Amino acid sequence: MASRTKLSGLQRQVLGLYREFLRAARLKEPEERLRIESIVSAEFRQNAMNVDRKNFLYIEYLLRRGKKQLEQLKSPDTLRLSTLEVGKTPQ
Amino acid sequence: MATVSAASVRFASLKPASRSNQANGVTSGVMFVTIGTSKLGFPSLRSSRFRVHCAAKPETVNKVIDIVKKQLALSDDTSLTPESKFSSLGADSLDTVEIVMCLEEEFDISVDEDNSQNITTVQEAADLIEKLVLQKAEAD
Repeated sequence: MASRTKLSGLQRQVLGLYREFLRAARLKEPEERLRIESIVSAEFRQNAMNVDRKNFLYIEYLLRRGKKQLEQLKSPDTLRLSTLEVGKTPQ
Repeated sequence: MATVSAASVRFASLKPASRSNQANGVTSGVMFVTIGTSKLGFPSLRSSRFRVHCAAKPETVNKVIDIVKKQLALSDDTSLTPESKFSSLGADSLDTVEIVMCLEEEFDISVDEDNSQNITTVQEAADLIEKLVLQKAEAD
């Protein structure tokens, strides 16, 4: 089991947050759940690709923002999640 | 010592029950149980715990393989062995989290964070699942 390279604390926090999001998505309607999972997964993957791993301040900011968003998603009053892209002019 | 022997008796009684109920498939993977006793000079901390060494059943392993394939969108003819490493299949750490979440749902267990980050192969996943399913049966 030691074969795995040890994850840093920040990496563990990010993975933990991802787990919590997927867990929260389970509580929603099946259709919305799929949508939430794809949005969340896209967001995490995009940030994993684009954010420099040494940019701790920004990663910590994203973590805090993610935790706030998770709190909102967890509320039973929240039914769905949607995104919009700012700055993309329609073709 | 009394509690330890009581626990192992419980194990013995669990085993035939799961044999008769194959669909449930709970505990037949237990190979041996080691019990640390303070008598033998083990640290007394260990005496209250006992460790279970499991070899996961083939059906569990196969189920895990199916889920891993589905999750990583691998084609059906990809050959997966219990020793396959998730990372060598092209999974990153986010994929691993997804796989573990899927397994949790499938087997109706909950894997805590420390354990989930130790899973790197199909075999490790299957072993952990059997252990957790067993613990759940114990708790009920």
